[in-house]
Amino acid sequence: MAIRCIVVTPERTELDTEATSVTLPMFDGSLGVLPNRAPMIGRLGYGKLELETSAGPQRFFVDGGFAQVEGNTVNLLTSRSIPVDLLDVGEAEKALAEALDMSARTPEQAQLRETAIRRARGQLRAAR
Amino acid sequence: MANARALDKRRKSIKNIRKITRTMELIATARYKKAMERAQAATAYTDQITKIVSRLAAAGLDVKHPLLEQRDEIKSARVLVLTSNRGLCGGYNAAVLREAMPQIRQMKETIPNVTVDVSGKRGVDGLRFRGVTTDERHLNFEDQPKYDEVEAIASSYLARYITGEIDRLDVVYTKFVSTSKQVAMVETLLPLGSLAGDESTEEELGGSNVDYEFLPSAESILEEVVPTSFKVRLFKCFLDAAVSEQVARMVAMKGATENAGEMIKELSMTYNRARQSQITGEIMEIIGGVEALEN
Repeated sequence: MAIRCIVVTPERTELDTEATSVTLPMFDGSLGVLPNRAPMIGRLGYGKLELETSAGPQRFFVDGGFAQVEGNTVNLLTSRSIPVDLLDVGEAEKALAEALDMSARTPEQAQLRETAIRRARGQLRAAR
Repeated sequence: MANARALDKRRKSIKNIRKITRTMELIATARYKKAMERAQAATAYTDQITKIVSRLAAAGLDVKHPLLEQRDEIKSARVLVLTSNRGLCGGYNAAVLREAMPQIRQMKETIPNVTVDVSGKRGVDGLRFRGVTTDERHLNFEDQPKYDEVEAIASSYLARYITGEIDRLDVVYTKFVSTSKQVAMVETLLPLGSLAGDESTEEELGGSNVDYEFLPSAESILEEVVPTSFKVRLFKCFLDAAVSEQVARMVAMKGATENAGEMIKELSMTYNRARQSQITGEIMEIIGGVEALEN
């Protein structure tokens, strides 16, 4: 029994493949999905999407968004998905430094900064 | 009757122009198809978002978010005008500017602080000519706007809205209705108004009424859905504008090619007549000369 995993970005359908198990980078930690999981809608964080396929493991960096599990289909909506091999550690480190440099004088600014930091850290973790 | 050689020269230059306009038409057609494909790909994404929102609503969550609510007092607003970088696309840019000008004027009367942003060289020039100062100018959008670039703009607007720097964002763009109909229009993107967008909320749910688990919580998902749907809406505006531009250019160039063809026909006729009358004149002269010699 296989799971169908579809990754959609606003520009195109990035990935549509069969996998035996999928690990989603949720907002509050990783979540493994095996066949016949109960339906769910979840918020994605910034991190690694891992697929176990018959051709071997596949890894992608996912940039926030949502996941929807229904039947044996996993739908991911994200603004960006990049194969992990194409990520650049230096770039991620730069993004993190920039995020840490943001000013946080008001609660709203602090929130924006926090999001930027979380995103940069996720990217860095995935890149390494 | 005009000089035959001058006529021939003119006809040749029109033929060259026709070649150019026909090529431009072909290019626009190819670009239009590509842009259209992208717009359709984006629809897959928006449909999914709409589904998630309707599932959230079905789960009994009260859809509320700061981005959705109208602010009581609007102190400053921004207008984003989407035009093209290149000309030769008929009334495309003129239509957008014609829609934008009254909107800007009216907003300036009611709201103390109005800033105008613009995308596309034609818009920058057109607004400067009309005496509107523009703040941010985006010139990097061609027939295939990138989501990354649009997202950067969207995020900056979101940040400004959240921090209270602006209270309203309007976008003036050309909405793509069908290949034969594009309308320039103003849309208020911030505050967002409704989430689900247009139609298709209730019926689609009917078939599969499954109980969903929300992780980490429905509220947390909503918190993310709202900004995302704003970004996607703005992206959709850019895509629509790009598709409409190509359609407009296609139509304009088609018209130009046809007109050139007609002109060539007319000129050929006058040229042939001029040539014929010239030859007749010469023959008459020769005959006259021969007769004079015989006598």
